[in-house]
Amino acid sequence: MTTVQSPQTAETPAANRQVVSSEILPEELHPSSRIDATDVTCWFGKRKVLERCTLSMEPGEVTALIGPSGCGKSTFLRSLNRMHELVPVAAIAGTIELDGVDIYSEEMSPTEVRSRIGMVFQKPNPFPAMSIADNVLAGLSLSGMSNEDPKALVEQCLRRAGLWAEVSDRLNEGGMSLSGGQQQRLCIARALAVHPDVLLMDEPCSALDPISTRVIEQTIRELCEEITIVIVTHNMQQAQRVSDKCAFFLVESIGDPGRIVEAGPTTQVFENPSDPRTYDYVTGQFG
Amino acid sequence: MRLFAEPRLQLEVDVDMSLLDERPLDETPVPEAPEQEPIEEQVPFRPRALVRSERVELLLAVASGVTGSAVMCLLFDWTQPLTFAIWALLLFLGSTYLLARDSQSPIVATDRLITTLVWTSGGIAVSVLLWMLGYVVVKGIAGLNFEYLTSDLSKVGPLDDGGGVFHAIVGTLEQMLIASVLSIPIAILTAVYLHEIRGRLAGIVRFVIDAMSGLPSIVAGLFIYTVWVLQGRGPSGLAAGLALAILMIPTVTRTAEEMLKTIDDGLRESALALGAPQWRSVMQVVLPTARSGLITASILGVARAVGETAPVLLTAFGSSSINWSPFNGPQADLPLYIYQLLRQPNPAQIARAWSGALVLVLLVLILFVLARVIGERGARVRGGSR
Repeated sequence: MTTVQSPQTAETPAANRQVVSSEILPEELHPSSRIDATDVTCWFGKRKVLERCTLSMEPGEVTALIGPSGCGKSTFLRSLNRMHELVPVAAIAGTIELDGVDIYSEEMSPTEVRSRIGMVFQKPNPFPAMSIADNVLAGLSLSGMSNEDPKALVEQCLRRAGLWAEVSDRLNEGGMSLSGGQQQRLCIARALAVHPDVLLMDEPCSALDPISTRVIEQTIRELCEEITIVIVTHNMQQAQRVSDKCAFFLVESIGDPGRIVEAGPTTQVFENPSDPRTYDYVTGQFG
Repeated sequence: MRLFAEPRLQLEVDVDMSLLDERPLDETPVPEAPEQEPIEEQVPFRPRALVRSERVELLLAVASGVTGSAVMCLLFDWTQPLTFAIWALLLFLGSTYLLARDSQSPIVATDRLITTLVWTSGGIAVSVLLWMLGYVVVKGIAGLNFEYLTSDLSKVGPLDDGGGVFHAIVGTLEQMLIASVLSIPIAILTAVYLHEIRGRLAGIVRFVIDAMSGLPSIVAGLFIYTVWVLQGRGPSGLAAGLALAILMIPTVTRTAEEMLKTIDDGLRESALALGAPQWRSVMQVVLPTARSGLITASILGVARAVGETAPVLLTAFGSSSINWSPFNGPQADLPLYIYQLLRQPNPAQIARAWSGALVLVLLVLILFVLARVIGERGARVRGGSR
């Protein structure tokens, strides 16, 4: 079981992951889901921040959204689980389908969308008034779910987030007593507890040190077997390390909305980009 | 510095060893341990502490203030201690400025003057409070005993000894409980409406709440007097509780709203991102996180209401005997007890009033400490380490 947390996992992923899935994961776990965004355009008031973005996020893959600051990556990510609309003046056009069902249609409520498409934020933010275990379980009571064996769920989620070994003896302490990297993994465990089909991550490592970043990247690679992951990152090396697929966002000139310049397999985007602007960005010539 | 010194010594040893390694084995001398230079004990100094010359200047300024003011009092035949104190303070500030300007520069002097002014203002505020509290304690402590705390005034003639404050304590506690139960939930929910829901009417509600916080307490009393007491229901502790609740709502609402503003938006977003409807996010995440702040808001509300005399006078009327029921008949409470006894022209009653004032101060203190303890314990049970 310790292999889940050990640094060697990254080098020999396949074998260990097999062990993990057979021993820890419940059998009824959702198969991975896909998200298809078509012609997504987003506004804040009258300002258009994103125009006609089309991107498919495939089951079991990690999709990285890269691009300079202010190019709409986070807005795009937040539109995928209806967090965009929390800003009162926000508006959106286009369709976003989760396994073929439009998440903005009446077939799905915002709360259902958000419990099926989980999210981890840039700043680690465990709930301060709750213990570590309660933080993991928070999503259940918050979304009105129940679980027969909460203890097992806590352990399972903390193991999947790579945090179990560090906190198993102090589950009743406050979540804020952890370090930044541990807090972020606690937030990942919290998001996993509601069994989402997709996990969105908005620059999850930008507030963390390199070692914590490495652990979280490992966690991402382990999770992507069971769950579709979309990650926004400013760190080009990170995109290369963790993602299978990459979408490059760019604002052409000031005042324009952001657009997807190029999307494709990560190796192709980084090693053989078809668009010169992508080449300039990934080789560090601007941005 | 010790931290830096030791690794450096270690490094020298490493260098020696690497040189030694190239010699033939048999010639290798036993490497001598490097001589530890005795590390001097460091003397800490506080850059912000007053240096000697500044202390001398401070003393000089105090001395010139006091003597200058004393001389003026003698010259002009002023006898009021307050006059002496005000002149002493002004001369002290003036000489602080002049001394610093001569010894250093006008900029330093202005800085010192402002600093001194801020310190003095704080000092004055605290000393007035202590003076007042001390006065209440001195005046009230003599009459404070077990009998005083456990009996009422029903069988005490105007000039008799004995009698007590028990009926007023009971009245105050019951009325505050009623007012708190009525107002705190309403106020906190209003704060949730203003800051969490941000409904369309938030602006209007906030305006009304602000207007209410300026409402004179006697108007609240008159209102309840007219719509409750005069409508055949008569005076009661409940009526007083209603009037006090009206006074508590604005204070608690605005403070609670400020407390909710301090909660990180990330927590709300996280809760929503887990699939929570907004009401669950508020109930399970926002309010528990703001818990100690909300307790503070409630304490401020209680503090606002507990010392009110006028609304209680109009709604509970006051009483000299104990009335356990807050729903029926006139009831006393502490401020009203003090007010009514102080107006009587005999020393025994006035002494009781002072003791009553002391009881009121102590009661408020106990309530505050209790609320704090409850708040802290709640935070600790949840394992928060802040």
